[in-house]
Amino acid sequence: MRIDDLQQLKSESPETLPSAERRKFLKMGLVVTGVYLSGTVLSLTSVRDAHAEDVVPEVGKYPYGPHYSMVIREKLCIDCERCKEACVKTNSVPVYGFRTTILEKRRAIANGEHETIFMPVLCNQCNRPPCVRVCPTTATWKDKKTGIVMMNSARCIGCKTCMTACPYNARYFKEETRAVDKCDFCWESRLSKGEKTTACAEACPADVRVFGDLADTKSRVFELLHSPETMIWVLRPEAGALPNVYYVNV
Amino acid sequence: MKKSLMVIVLGVLMLSGGWLLAADEKKAAEPYDEDTYGPEAPIVWDKPVKSVVFDHKVHTQGQGLECDSCHDELFSQEAGAAQEKKDFTMKTLYDGGYCGSCHDGETAFASNKRCTSCHIGVRGQARLTGGKDKAEEGHAKD
Repeated sequence: MRIDDLQQLKSESPETLPSAERRKFLKMGLVVTGVYLSGTVLSLTSVRDAHAEDVVPEVGKYPYGPHYSMVIREKLCIDCERCKEACVKTNSVPVYGFRTTILEKRRAIANGEHETIFMPVLCNQCNRPPCVRVCPTTATWKDKKTGIVMMNSARCIGCKTCMTACPYNARYFKEETRAVDKCDFCWESRLSKGEKTTACAEACPADVRVFGDLADTKSRVFELLHSPETMIWVLRPEAGALPNVYYVNV
Repeated sequence: MKKSLMVIVLGVLMLSGGWLLAADEKKAAEPYDEDTYGPEAPIVWDKPVKSVVFDHKVHTQGQGLECDSCHDELFSQEAGAAQEKKDFTMKTLYDGGYCGSCHDGETAFASNKRCTSCHIGVRGQARLTGGKDKAEEGHAKD
């Protein structure tokens, strides 16, 4: 189409629209809005169906096998940091980073006293990992068999987008490899070589970190997460990443 | 009659309040005497696990224990000597040894409860001595 022809055409700007045409359009808009609005008001979701979504997947509905997960018995942690030392040694973690660490919070308790709570943190090996979603080079991915969020340092271009995307601050840039490094549940250093547990879990003197296969109904992680009257929580559930590191106080 | 009773009651309340307040202040202001209460600096054990604290002040000045409540039967009077012994473990505490002699759930809170009261952790110890954690640096999101 040539520019001369275009100039001949009638303008379709709002000023030239007949008001009947405008009314028709507005009416249509109102009808659509009305249908949606009344639908929401009238349908009134049944309260009986509004079950609170559990952080632990339903039994038999684990997406991976083995479905590796860790249960952290939080109140027993004393921040002796043997787990950190074991991790550093096993996975050659430099001093400026961590694959796992201990966070600390203080809380007022009765009688004007305070208590300290130590919270071990590590990669949550999320079922919907935001880090994997943002990686431009597929250097990090969710392993289809074990569910571990893996890292191929050779493919990493060091853009650090995954570090920003991670809701758990579980990634750091490792100068030595010029790549982002993270916890892989000791897959490379131990599990792939036949070991049954992670270095941190093995080193813990207080039995805080329990590692295992959630899909195995006889495993300790399964038992801890499915014992009666147990409160289970995950970190930042609102991120919707569906973590595989669970916290309990038993 | 009623009025004077009221005045008396109020007076007693105010007086006792003032007295309690003064007692509180006196307690807080009382200087710490190392000869009476033991060394002021907390003892930090690092064996068998790191960063476990004992504060003389809390136990003597705070709770009114005498030196011979613990010395020399439970602990010798030498900082850090206990941790060189093989039986300086939680198991021994649960059986009534060392701290477990009082921390049995009756005299004081049980040894298997409120772990972080004494286990101040590597972080707690760093704060006590003014240290800093380097590992956080690599994770900084800027």
